[in-house]
Amino acid sequence: MAVLHAWRAARVTPLGELNAPPRMTAVALRLAVQVVLVWSLWRGLYAQTGTTAGLSRDQAVTYAVLAVLASRLRELDQYAGRDTVLQHMHFGTIVYWYLRPLPPQRYYALRAAGEQLYGLAWALTGYVICLAAGVVEPPASAAAAGVFVVSMLLGQWVLYYVMLVLDQLCFWTVRNTAAMLILMFAQNLLSGVYAPLWFFPDWFVTMSAFLPFQATLSVPLSLYVGRIPLSDAGFQLSVQAAWVVVLALFTRLLWRRAARRVISQGG
Amino acid sequence: MGQLSVAIEVRGLSRTFHTTVRRPGFTGAVRSLVNPERVAKHAVSDITFDVAAGELLALLGPNGAGKSTTIKILTGILTPTSGEARVAGVVPYRERERNARNVGAVFGQRTQLWWDLPVRESFAILRDIYEVPKAEHAARLKEFDDILELSSFWDTRVRHLSLGQRVRSDLAAALLHDPPVVFLDEPTIGMDVVVKEQVREFLRHQVEQRGRTVLLTTHDMTEVERLAERVVLVNHGRLMLDGSLDEIRRKFGSTWQVRATLADPHAEVVPPPGTALLRHAGAQVVFGPAGPAALTVQQALKAVIERFEVTDIALDEADLEDVMRAAYAHAGEI
Amino acid sequence: MSWKALRIVWRVTALNFRAQMEYRTEFLLMIAIGAIWQVSVIVFATVLLSRFAGMGGWDSSDVLLIPATRMLAHGLFVLFLGRMHWAGRQIQEGRIDIYLMRPMPVHRQVQLAFFPTNAIGDLTVAAGLMVGALSRSDLDWTTGRVTYLVAAVLGGMLLEAALFTVVASASLRFPAADMWGRWLEELLGTFGSYPLNVLPRAVGGFLTYGLPLAFVAYFPAAVLTGHGHSTGVPYWVAAASPLLGLLAYLAARMLWRWSLRHYSGING
Repeated sequence: MAVLHAWRAARVTPLGELNAPPRMTAVALRLAVQVVLVWSLWRGLYAQTGTTAGLSRDQAVTYAVLAVLASRLRELDQYAGRDTVLQHMHFGTIVYWYLRPLPPQRYYALRAAGEQLYGLAWALTGYVICLAAGVVEPPASAAAAGVFVVSMLLGQWVLYYVMLVLDQLCFWTVRNTAAMLILMFAQNLLSGVYAPLWFFPDWFVTMSAFLPFQATLSVPLSLYVGRIPLSDAGFQLSVQAAWVVVLALFTRLLWRRAARRVISQGG
Repeated sequence: MGQLSVAIEVRGLSRTFHTTVRRPGFTGAVRSLVNPERVAKHAVSDITFDVAAGELLALLGPNGAGKSTTIKILTGILTPTSGEARVAGVVPYRERERNARNVGAVFGQRTQLWWDLPVRESFAILRDIYEVPKAEHAARLKEFDDILELSSFWDTRVRHLSLGQRVRSDLAAALLHDPPVVFLDEPTIGMDVVVKEQVREFLRHQVEQRGRTVLLTTHDMTEVERLAERVVLVNHGRLMLDGSLDEIRRKFGSTWQVRATLADPHAEVVPPPGTALLRHAGAQVVFGPAGPAALTVQQALKAVIERFEVTDIALDEADLEDVMRAAYAHAGEI
Repeated sequence: MSWKALRIVWRVTALNFRAQMEYRTEFLLMIAIGAIWQVSVIVFATVLLSRFAGMGGWDSSDVLLIPATRMLAHGLFVLFLGRMHWAGRQIQEGRIDIYLMRPMPVHRQVQLAFFPTNAIGDLTVAAGLMVGALSRSDLDWTTGRVTYLVAAVLGGMLLEAALFTVVASASLRFPAADMWGRWLEELLGTFGSYPLNVLPRAVGGFLTYGLPLAFVAYFPAAVLTGHGHSTGVPYWVAAASPLLGLLAYLAARMLWRWSLRHYSGING
């Protein structure tokens, strides 16, 4: 039975999307345009330059296009489903999360897993097309590919916790849309979605090494394009794993405090 | 379910909230930012009542009286500051998940359905969350559909439902796991007469045929009259009255008037005991209730006819709305 | 707008500002996060530009003028007209129905929905970047150039407002169109800061005629720095960017008004 409810909760997002074909068309269109734009931008930027910051043109283009595809994994129109913590707090429907025999944290995790798997389908499709069209380079070796997959998995795990912390904030500050936007920007910038972190000055790279954001995207993609050598992969993977553990404990604490807050305020 | 004769037990329940007061003006806003001032608000204080299994109880009171807070405590969402509560033998705020399987709830217009999915998908999710066997689920859905006519719209996405359709779906969603105890916080708010009647019929059916215990809050007095055998009246977080509708009427609804036209306009008029003469102009007289042993409107009618020779008689009885208005006003004075 | 209307706008704005302060955690959080945001933006804008010196045949001091113009225009947009970005949300929540019943233009009510605390951060960063760009610039800043720059910033603000107004108008009919607003912001943020001649012609054309973000900062900066003849469009088109922003905004407002007249409510 537990499997059943897990399956049900996980498929809420894909099902909602499938029920809204215009939204899916929009996603496809947006993804295609974004890939073309990013691809041409980075080729354009490299027109006058050879290798910079240890990244060749092809590495940079591959990195940038993969970043676009990877950000698809968890970048849906989450508000459309009215199932974000922010909206539940706003509409007062968060009470139902605490009214069911399914713990809110598990429901949230299942929903997120479904969303990420659904996003993965998009990202994989995009990847295959891009690979066939020669937009991205294949991984340097089978070993690099393997390490990349593990690292990406850990990265998504970290990303899940980062997004969870953002959502959990809503339990305390209902009116934090602007703050959320800024944090989203920080996540995108510091994880290397906008530009590979390698381009930034040393102090910036050092700073982000102490933050969880780069573990979500920069590390796996750098492993893919070979900017992080395989010899360094073990260390990077363990840093990612460490973030998973730290954030897991932290978000657990926040869930407990959130529950206490709902219980004391009544949602 | 069922074996317990008392489904809901509330003993000395209290709940205090602490809120920050906003100081007026710009400097006030800045001061509140730096040094917020906290005040305590007693949403519920020392409430005690029982609801028997298979009973429908209406929890009444003006806005902000503490009804929703009480329901939230009984559903396990809120913890009380002091006092005890048991729902189907479970202390809701201590064993939230166990309690969740025993209760269903609808909070007014707040929907628990998934906005982007067809209604039936929401039902399916809930079925799996509450681990309801498939056959049982189908049978129950069929039963609900017969009264609530869900099948006409259950393949529509929730975002496209009308309010009436959504509330009916929410009602079904809350009862799909066969909870012995149901909490409904203003379920029919903003709905049209036809849908309201449908919902009432559904609730009556659930109480009478399925033996569910229902705790209902509403501002719709017609609903109370049609559904509730017993009411609990709260105001300012305190319990004002616990009894039948008749008791409430007797206590607060003594606003009837009996108008009579006497056969003899010059007769001396001495009002029957328990009534008072409110007006006397020629043959026209109006009596109202008076004294601690005030008559009910039926008794007064009988007494007037027995005592006087009347050519015409009429009565005005306060309806439940008036009774409640009097009751709330009375409660407010305490 | 009459004096009276202006006074109402001012009073509501003051109230909104106070309302922002009411939410203690949120307000303090915004200030804290604002600092991170400012550093990030400056790093992002300057680092990339210096890394790819000479991109598109531009000096890096000239290139800097593009993000400076774009960000200043964006900051002003957020401060004065930015709530258009949230119109979709307000439509979905049924606020428009309430606005329609009040004796004040709906557009103004949308703008007065809340005070954009974040605009303070945006404008601070943008102003800093502009000062930096101007101090590094080798150009002769004549009155004419300065006037044109001011006009370009205002035109950029209006053009961005026009784009979001179009999305908002679409949201009146299709609430889901709101999603495009977020993409629009992303595109403006990502591609608004480069000399677009580094892109292939077709892509540049798309960003000129399809989604006219080239007019926000790239064309005006090109005209100012003497690259006006190599933008891929006739010189006068590039030079007319500020005017185009104004015209686009007026047209968008007309579209908004038309859409409001045909607004039929959401969810029946």
